[in-house]
Amino acid sequence: MFPGATDGREGSATAAESDRGGANFVVVGAPLDVSTTFQPGTRFGPRRIRSFAEPFDDYDHRTDQFFSDLAVEDHGDVRAWDDAKEYLEYLEGTLRGVVWDDAVPLTLGGEHTVSLAGVRAVEPEVVVVLDAHLDLYEAYDGNRLSHASVTRRILEEAGVEEVVVLSARTGSEVEWDRAQRRDVTVVPPEAVGNRSLVDVIAGRKTYLSVDIDAADPAYAPGTGTMEPFGLEPRELRTVVREVAPYAGGFDVVEVNDRDDGQSAALAAKLVREFVFSHADDRYGR
Amino acid sequence: MAKQQTEVRDLQEGSYVMIDDTPCKINAYSTAKPGKHGSAKARVEAEGVFDGKKRSLSQPVDAKIWVPIIERKQGQVVSVDGDDMQVMDLETYETITMRIPGDADVSPDENIEYLEMEDQRKIV
Repeated sequence: MFPGATDGREGSATAAESDRGGANFVVVGAPLDVSTTFQPGTRFGPRRIRSFAEPFDDYDHRTDQFFSDLAVEDHGDVRAWDDAKEYLEYLEGTLRGVVWDDAVPLTLGGEHTVSLAGVRAVEPEVVVVLDAHLDLYEAYDGNRLSHASVTRRILEEAGVEEVVVLSARTGSEVEWDRAQRRDVTVVPPEAVGNRSLVDVIAGRKTYLSVDIDAADPAYAPGTGTMEPFGLEPRELRTVVREVAPYAGGFDVVEVNDRDDGQSAALAAKLVREFVFSHADDRYGR
Repeated sequence: MAKQQTEVRDLQEGSYVMIDDTPCKINAYSTAKPGKHGSAKARVEAEGVFDGKKRSLSQPVDAKIWVPIIERKQGQVVSVDGDDMQVMDLETYETITMRIPGDADVSPDENIEYLEMEDQRKIV
């Protein structure tokens, strides 16, 4: 269980997901690990994020809220298998159920591919992605559902008008060419701190995806494809705080187990920042 | 209520299922793999046939579930009175009163298709 969340796992054969009891947020683990390149291990991401959230205080001084008061439920993991297409369909159904219950899905990856299920469930107009990579390959090694193609797939979703990629600092020539089109905005790491997104997301349905490798690998070494010259943790936090009130869905992905918990701790903290900021705005404080 | 029992595994997109005691049409059906320790589960996303409300369920594929028996019928509009219309069932010649859906434009002598389950009806 994510610390401070209630247990919403499907414990019985007839678990009725419509009986959420008024959850505002639902944590869903999505431990997909089939197309990771270089270093695998995202299958351990959800449990690791939950584990490294344990030392955090329930109380948030900035917003004067208790995490355990904000109706966060943990659905548990949607166990992954090796057919990404089938898995995404099933995961999408689970996340869509959350949306139909008027709650905000908080997906813990898993490789970045799982964001596609989140976007399909939430049906946003704008997708904000924190990521070191463009992920705009048409296909990577022939795989259109590779984690290196997820932003490209998101752009193909009906209703998605625009993707903003923050902290992108690497990509192939073909990806940079695709990023030139009007539906993609790339903000390099050094410009993220000076760029407000309110003008882009205000009044539009938004989805926020955080690939933990957007952070500099010094802060988040537990990820598959580390890319130096990334963001400071506080810069990620600023983006999450700004976007959260507008976002109908959130994920944090690409955390693996190849560090001492730095990536998972940062990911867990960003989940909480999202919840506090979204709830703070919801209650009009 | 006219319904029959089946297993979740036999449901498919486009068919009907009872969710929360309400007849629904299935829009999406997906299954999870069981692994070594779990049981294969199916997720069904559906929409109420008569109320249009979206509903979902998640159950093991071998669970028993009720499927409503919904008839598709042909009728002819006899007369229109405000928000209601008189429709003659072209099979039984029985005349029934139906509410005209907000987006429908019907006129007397027009042939219509409608779904019927007990006393609930909806123009297709």
